[in-house]
Amino acid sequence: MPAHDPTTFQETEVHPTAPFTVHRSDDGRWYTVTGDCPACHGRTVFRVAHGVLGPLKGRWRRRDAEPEPLTGAIPVYCQCGYPHPERPPESPDAGCGAFWDVPVPPATPPGGAP
Amino acid sequence: MTDLAKKRAAQLGQQLQADQLGAVRRQAEGWRNGLAGLTGLVGAVFVLKGRESVAGMPDVWRWTTAALLAAAFLLLLSGALKAVRAAHGQVGEHTWLSGDRLFAAVLDEVERTQDALASARRRSVTGLCAIVAALAVSWVVPVGADEGKKADEPAPGVPRVLVTTQKGTHCGRLVVGDGGGVTIERSKGPGKKDSGRGPGRLRIPAAEVISVTPVGRC
Repeated sequence: MPAHDPTTFQETEVHPTAPFTVHRSDDGRWYTVTGDCPACHGRTVFRVAHGVLGPLKGRWRRRDAEPEPLTGAIPVYCQCGYPHPERPPESPDAGCGAFWDVPVPPATPPGGAP
Repeated sequence: MTDLAKKRAAQLGQQLQADQLGAVRRQAEGWRNGLAGLTGLVGAVFVLKGRESVAGMPDVWRWTTAALLAAAFLLLLSGALKAVRAAHGQVGEHTWLSGDRLFAAVLDEVERTQDALASARRRSVTGLCAIVAALAVSWVVPVGADEGKKADEPAPGVPRVLVTTQKGTHCGRLVVGDGGGVTIERSKGPGKKDSGRGPGRLRIPAAEVISVTPVGRC
């Protein structure tokens, strides 16, 4: 694993070359994306949960029924946790500012890895 | 080309993910207030224009009205409790406040809150419909529909009295009551409570009268 690079904070879209791990939780309600930031090489763990908004789930659907699998790509931004120069104090970022897309593997079973 | 909107949406998603329970609670508070206002509004409008009493209605309609009102009460009560539960959570819930378990508990509570809110909405609307149905029944069904079919009976609403004397009782429509006595008009049918023999006006001297009691029917 390359060492973290304290790059200057910059909100720019990058295209990762190294693969990312996309893991669906056992109950299927959230995905965890894990990998190294392509810009600063800090370890980033990004979680995306199934939550409010969207279409109604229906009157008779069981509450513990797992949601439909996520398709497409998950937009991820660096959350390495390291300080980066020129990061605005009001910024919600916890990384270098870079962001990228991570494709979701098709039909990832709950609790499974790609 | 950098599409910052994509990142902003991702940030919004992370923020909403962390605050979705608060968002659902606020939504439930709004719905709770709306349902309470709607219940109060419908209750005020229809109760003010409704009939004061179901007395005099046929039994089947009186019981129907009572059943509808009882069902409406239960539905509105449980709906209000569900709405409060959605807005403020269930008392006595416990979980480990550790990473994944807390995250899962938040997602569970979001779903339970939404279920409780949907249930509150259904119960409140059904309860309001039951109130409206009960009032519609009381408006449509005529008072004394059973009695009105009997030609011999006087019109409903005419006061009748049961006059008790030393010789027996007489029942009929009160014509006049003064210091000299009581005059009643008896109907043609043989009243169960009446010891008199036939219809027509009957003057009972005050000296013989022991009591005069209003009754619904003779």
